[in-house]
This record gives sequence, C-alpha cells and structure tokens, in this order.
Amino acid sequence: MDIKNVPKTAIIVPAYNEEDNIAKTLEGLMALKNELDNVEICVVNDGSQDRTKEIVETFEVVQINLPQNLGIGGAVQTGYKYACNHDFEIAVQFDADGQHNIQDFVNLIQPIMNQEQDMVIGSRFLQKTDYRGSRVRRIGIYYFYLVLKLLTRKKFTDPTSGYRAINRAVIELFAHHYPRDYPEPEVLMHLSRKGMRIKEVPANMQSRQGGASSITTWKSFYYFGKVTLSILMSSIVKEY
Amino acid sequence: MDITWMSFFIIVLFFIIVMESVRRGILETRDSLIWIFTCMVLGVLSLSRDLLAYLADILGIAYAPSLLFLFGLISTIIMIFDLTRRISKLNNKVTVLTQEFALLKEEQERMKQDKNEVRKKKI
Repeated sequence: MDIKNVPKTAIIVPAYNEEDNIAKTLEGLMALKNELDNVEICVVNDGSQDRTKEIVETFEVVQINLPQNLGIGGAVQTGYKYACNHDFEIAVQFDADGQHNIQDFVNLIQPIMNQEQDMVIGSRFLQKTDYRGSRVRRIGIYYFYLVLKLLTRKKFTDPTSGYRAINRAVIELFAHHYPRDYPEPEVLMHLSRKGMRIKEVPANMQSRQGGASSITTWKSFYYFGKVTLSILMSSIVKEY
Repeated sequence: MDITWMSFFIIVLFFIIVMESVRRGILETRDSLIWIFTCMVLGVLSLSRDLLAYLADILGIAYAPSLLFLFGLISTIIMIFDLTRRISKLNNKVTVLTQEFALLKEEQERMKQDKNEVRKKKI
C-alpha cells in the first residue's frame, strides 16, 4: 500500500450473529489497521444471540453492543453516530461476513482523501470480477440500477453494495438520518438529491463464507417492494 | 330485546369503560377524545331512528342502518391510521434510544478501562 498517513478513519462493521465469520474478518482488518495510522475499527453488534460478542472482545477494537436487534440500517447508523461524535474524517462500511476485500480499501478512500468525492462505493460490476451471485440476485441489482438511473440520471452499477466510504459531510448527514431496513439503494437516491458526489470503484467480493444472508427468498419479495417504494418516496419527500 | 336498545346499551357500556380507563390513567385523555366522540354519535344515531333515516335520506343511502356501519368504519380507519403513525414514531424513538444507550455504554466501558490503567501505573 502506497499511503500510510490517512485522515482519522473509522471502519464500521455491523455484525448480527456472525460467529462463523467475524474472527476472520477482524484478523484481516487488524492487519490493515497496523499498516495504516489513524484507522479505528468499530464493530456494531446488533443484538446477536450467538458468540459474536465474546469473539469480538478478543480483538482490540471498539465494540458497540446494541441491547436489541435494530436491523442493518439502525446498526450501521450507530457506527456513523460514533464516527460523528468522535470527529472521524472518513467512515468505511465493511461487512462482517467476509465478502469484502481489504485490498480495495485504499482505492475506496483515496478519492475522499483527495476531496474529489463525498461517497465511494465498491462495485462488483464496474469491471469483470470473480463475483458469482445467484441469477435472482443479479436481476435484482440490475433492477435497482435501472430505477436509480431513471430517477437520478446517474449510473450506479452496484447499488446494493455495502462496501462504501464516506467523508465528514456525509457522516454528519447519516448520523442525523439513515433509512432503516435495506438502506443501501435508498441512500443513493437521498444523497443524489442532496447533490453529493458519488463514485464507484471496482471491488472484488467473495460470495459469503458462512452464516446466512439477511435476505432470504421470501423476504426478497418484501425487499423489492420496500426498496422500490422507499427510493420513489425519497425522491419526493421533504428534505431532512 | 329490540336491536336498537341492545346496541345502545353496548355503546353505553363501552362509553363507561372508556371513561373509567381515562379516570384510572390507563388511557390518555387526548386518546380518549375520538372514542368518546364515536360513542356519542353512535349512541344518538342508534336511538333515534328518525334522525338516522333523515340523514340517510340526505346522503342518498337506501338502507338507513348502513349509515351506522359507514360511520363506525370511518372512525375505525382513522383510529388505525393514527395508531400506525404513532407506532412509526415510537419505533424511531426506540431506535434513537437504543443507539444512544449503546454509545454511552461503550464510552463508560472505555472510561473504566482508562481508570484501571491509570491505577495500574500508579502502583
């Protein structure tokens, strides 16, 4: 890695029942932390019922334990609130299940360090990567790509990607307001309306290593409906 | 017993329950307003057939008692909508509280650790 001196950066890892993957993910992140100055890892334990809490305690990271399960949106927002309260300049969202790659980390924060972008998203589809998702999943992602293109006139090739870096301005915005469940595509609409600069960079992602995805087959119907509606809604709601 | 009287008694009984709940502080006064209003309107309408027929006639309703259903249904829908809105609002509040609680707890934990370290150094 060519840069060492990064501004104060928080890596936010939302974790819900991730005992199978969290240790491996945190080992990777600790290696990254030792290489870069000013990086802090912040695990938000979203009311897990398994051994996630105990495993995270063995690492030297900030652990925020939510007393009950809030869902991904509420958990990630807790991390952003932490970053906001402790004057972090950059926040990176990083999934606990091990599908994100630390090799892409610098590419993600570089445009923000150069103050060229407000948000940078790691995209699986910008270049040909090894990612092999199920067909339904890829159709879903393409569908949100179309909806967002129609409404924002911008191209987000991977609108559901949870690997994203944001600057201070967006941290403050998210600390104040963040959608509850399945927030990723909705946030893009919200930020576009605010005139924030968003860029995608290519990122490799593995299919999940273990545990269960938060989106099951039955839930995916709800997912489509809810996300479509909330994207449409956030294109017309009052600015908050 | 006549259905008119029966429904009237049910409404009166319900009205008493509402008032008693407010008195005991189980139901907030502002929440009781719509219930009291509904009880009164239904009570009056179910007692006075002439008034019911008269109103139904104005509104062009062929079968007068369906006006009672209409009124009951509208108030129920309003109440349910009001409840859904309040649940959303409460949900937001609970989320904020949960987050704030977790953040404070983390801070407290860290302060405790710092204190212990200082103590160790002194020893």
